[in-house]
Amino acid sequence: MGNRSIVLLALVLVALAALAVPGESQSPIKIGVIEPLSGPVAASGNYVRMGAEIARDWLNAKGGIGGRKVDLLIEDNKSDPKEAASAAEKLIVRDKVPAIMGAWGSSMTLAAMPKLEEYGVPMVVETSSAASITKRGNPWIFRISPPSEMEALGLEQYVDKLGVKRVDFLAVNTDWGRGSITAFGDMLKKKGAAVGVAEYMEQSATDMNAQLTKIKATGGDTLFLTTAVEQITLVMKQAQEQRLTRKVVTTGGSSSPTQLIKQAGAAAEGSYHIVFFMPWFPDAMPDGKLAKAFVDEWAKRGHPFEGLTEGFRGHDGIATIAEAIRVAGKDDPKAVREALWNVSLMGVNGPIKFEKDGPAGKESGQSKPSIFVVQIRDGKVALPDFLAKK
Amino acid sequence: MTRAGGFFLAVGALTLPLWLQSPYHVHVAIMAGIFGVLAMSLNLLLGYTGQLSLGHAAFFGIGAYTSALLTLKLDWSFWPALAAAMALAGAAGLFIGRLALKLRGAYFVLVTISFAGVVSLVSVNWIELTNGPLGLPGVPAPELGPWSLRTKTAYYYLVLAAVALSYVVCRRLVRSRIGRALVALRENEPLAESVGVDATHYLVLATVVSAAMAGLGGSLYAHYTRFVSPEVFLFTYTVTMVIMVVAGGKGTLAGPLVGAVLFTALPEALRAAASWQWQMLAYGLLLILLVFFLPRGIVPRLAAAFPGRR
Amino acid sequence: MAELLQHLLNGLVLGGTYALLGIGLTLIFGLMNVVNFAHGEFYTLGAYVSFAALALAGIDFFAALLVAIVAGAALGWLCEVTLLRPLRNESIDTTMLVMIGVWIAMQNAELLGWGGVAKSIPHPFPTAPLVFGPVAIAPVRLFALVLAAGLIAASWLTIQKTKLGRAMRATFQDRDTAALMGVGIGRIHAATFAFGSGLAAAAGALLGPIFLVYPSMGDLASLKAFSVVILGGLGNLPGATLGGLLLGIAEELGAGYISSGYRDAVGFVIIILVLLFRPSGLLARQERIA
Repeated sequence: MGNRSIVLLALVLVALAALAVPGESQSPIKIGVIEPLSGPVAASGNYVRMGAEIARDWLNAKGGIGGRKVDLLIEDNKSDPKEAASAAEKLIVRDKVPAIMGAWGSSMTLAAMPKLEEYGVPMVVETSSAASITKRGNPWIFRISPPSEMEALGLEQYVDKLGVKRVDFLAVNTDWGRGSITAFGDMLKKKGAAVGVAEYMEQSATDMNAQLTKIKATGGDTLFLTTAVEQITLVMKQAQEQRLTRKVVTTGGSSSPTQLIKQAGAAAEGSYHIVFFMPWFPDAMPDGKLAKAFVDEWAKRGHPFEGLTEGFRGHDGIATIAEAIRVAGKDDPKAVREALWNVSLMGVNGPIKFEKDGPAGKESGQSKPSIFVVQIRDGKVALPDFLAKK
Repeated sequence: MTRAGGFFLAVGALTLPLWLQSPYHVHVAIMAGIFGVLAMSLNLLLGYTGQLSLGHAAFFGIGAYTSALLTLKLDWSFWPALAAAMALAGAAGLFIGRLALKLRGAYFVLVTISFAGVVSLVSVNWIELTNGPLGLPGVPAPELGPWSLRTKTAYYYLVLAAVALSYVVCRRLVRSRIGRALVALRENEPLAESVGVDATHYLVLATVVSAAMAGLGGSLYAHYTRFVSPEVFLFTYTVTMVIMVVAGGKGTLAGPLVGAVLFTALPEALRAAASWQWQMLAYGLLLILLVFFLPRGIVPRLAAAFPGRR
Repeated sequence: MAELLQHLLNGLVLGGTYALLGIGLTLIFGLMNVVNFAHGEFYTLGAYVSFAALALAGIDFFAALLVAIVAGAALGWLCEVTLLRPLRNESIDTTMLVMIGVWIAMQNAELLGWGGVAKSIPHPFPTAPLVFGPVAIAPVRLFALVLAAGLIAASWLTIQKTKLGRAMRATFQDRDTAALMGVGIGRIHAATFAFGSGLAAAAGALLGPIFLVYPSMGDLASLKAFSVVILGGLGNLPGATLGGLLLGIAEELGAGYISSGYRDAVGFVIIILVLLFRPSGLLARQERIA
């Protein structure tokens, strides 16, 4: 036992020594970014990262914030809540970042939240859709993405024009998919539509034929689909094989219609998509010039066009944090948090301004992002037929 | 050497928070301790009975969820919740142990994988109980009398106590008659049975203790991270435990602990040393190299290099 | 009734691919006793090689399939010779651990090289489904099913009838005697691993055009493959085939009639039940050889 315990001790010291490298000391302003850069949703996480990098470079081209360069410290949460929490801890304690953007998936964000409260560092949530994130009474959370309820409200005005009478749902079996079904189901019932079946698919599932066969049997007129673009592609192709003919509406903003057209082809024809950025019509966005500039810069860097519908989130998140740091006048976490309540800026999606959400005294910040609907017609992305001015 | 080494180790462990640079390091130490308990539990099965449980994350997850749910929804205090977590995980171990009674080797592996798969799916789909994919946020911190064990340092000592307890239990078990019977079973089952060793009885016992210990790890995890979601059943957790046990040295007492410390610190060190694109690739390559040069694990190789007692 | 038939057809196609993965692994796990966690990665490799050949080099679909198989077999051969051979005398856990390392390294290398965005493999088949009465199937799936069946049959024949197959069976039944009889043990081990890996790559190249190609596609494939192997009995090719088909159909029916959320659970429960009543697998005989 003795020899081994000395060895054990030595190994512990060696391992911990590797962590002893001190964090860099500061002239640049550091902003933490936690995204899923590996694992099943690596594509989305990387798009957000690319958008964030564009924001950083634009900031630095204009001289940074208060004359200081902006540095992004990018961490991979590997789609694992434990890693998201560890990454947050490392960014806050070792790297001393004044603010973080993250963490894409709702459970990743929820796992990192206790760390934010423990150390008092704000986080801008750019993608997560779970309602609970801003309702838990965590005053360090500021979300610029819409919770599912807000999204459903955004669609409400079009429900009659869409002609939705009997609805079925097919969603990925995660907090996002389930939350979406609840939110849209409630909204549609209020509008008088009948809700049929709600089917689920595992995140990594590739064969949805069983679910589609069941859906086909209900005789409904609309299918609401909530999942990532890869699964949407598969669902559409398999729906075509099963000769399922009904309206399809995808929610969540992750449907990347361009990629769908490329990979699902005719199977995607006629489908509607809720998106939060319309890179095909940048002039129709609240700040047309900014949107166009973003699309052009993205193309200049050789990033795939289909990533724009998610990449803009990275840009808007970093822009929000940068603005807060500018308003605060210093990169101190508590000052940044105060400043976040006072920022009002224009992102690629539209105006960003935080309102109080959650229990009194411990409110989180929630912005009201713009919500758009597009349709795939004649193999191209277009404004929906019920909106087209003919 | 023995006494001195053990003494230094104990002193080092007890005073660790004092000479660690930052709370982040204490965080890593806490995670290493939790995984140490998990690795030791897996080692009981893998190292001593020779049965590979590839569903060990199931016991970990059951412990985490039980503890979290009892404290969140029924307002139990931490300590009875911990006991319940261990009991429930142990009961699952009993179920698996008896189920896999007739099976050995690959078949036992598959049953454990399938069990973990089913439990994982239940945690995702039984929304009313587990809140499904949204998980259980806000798991309360443990309390010891009037003190809340919320701070990192306090939690470190809690985990350290659990590690020490688990180590002692393993050691006692392994050195007892039960342990010898298990090793006999692992080495040559027909022979062992012929001299009266009841294979089923001992295997089930080992599985129950192993599962209960993993449940302990799960409860500790739940109350430290304060968030439990179905991801605790992810296969990668089981794989991580396997890596720790086999690379550390299965069938030894110190092996899993060494493995736990090394493979908790390694990804964090890689986070500091390499940009995100290379971290996991480096991890995989390092693992291959480690196995290549130390095929029996770290501890056995070092024990051979420094022959001491036994 | 139409619904049931459609479910059965879907299940058959799914099962065919599980079977293909299963027979590759049953050779490696069943015969060589290597817990090959990287099996799914050879599946992924096959898909990426096929993508590269088709989309980048522009060669035709069938040639791309061949290239994928060769690539899988070659990398498998390399793994066996460089990593497994030196560790042959170590315990099964050691070889398992090294294959875990290979799994992590391969998947992250693919992520690094290709990025996380899913790729779509172009294929020459028409997209309109073929309709047979109440059921429909896409031509590319039918093709995959037929080719999978062909590969399975070819594997059976190789193991049973050829010299290589005989040598493989001899080696794994009784290594020392086989060596005495002049069989090159090292070459047989390498050939077996290459064979199994090539089959996994074939499955990837066949399924790639039907689904999409992304770095983590192999994880689920590995898990299903292990289930199929054990279900069918270690080292048992017909068993793995039958197991694969059964698992595919069971999953499809379970998802269709019980619940799509618990779809995979149905597979697991069936596995547990089968093992309870037939512990050595569906078609097991006494010995563990194909």
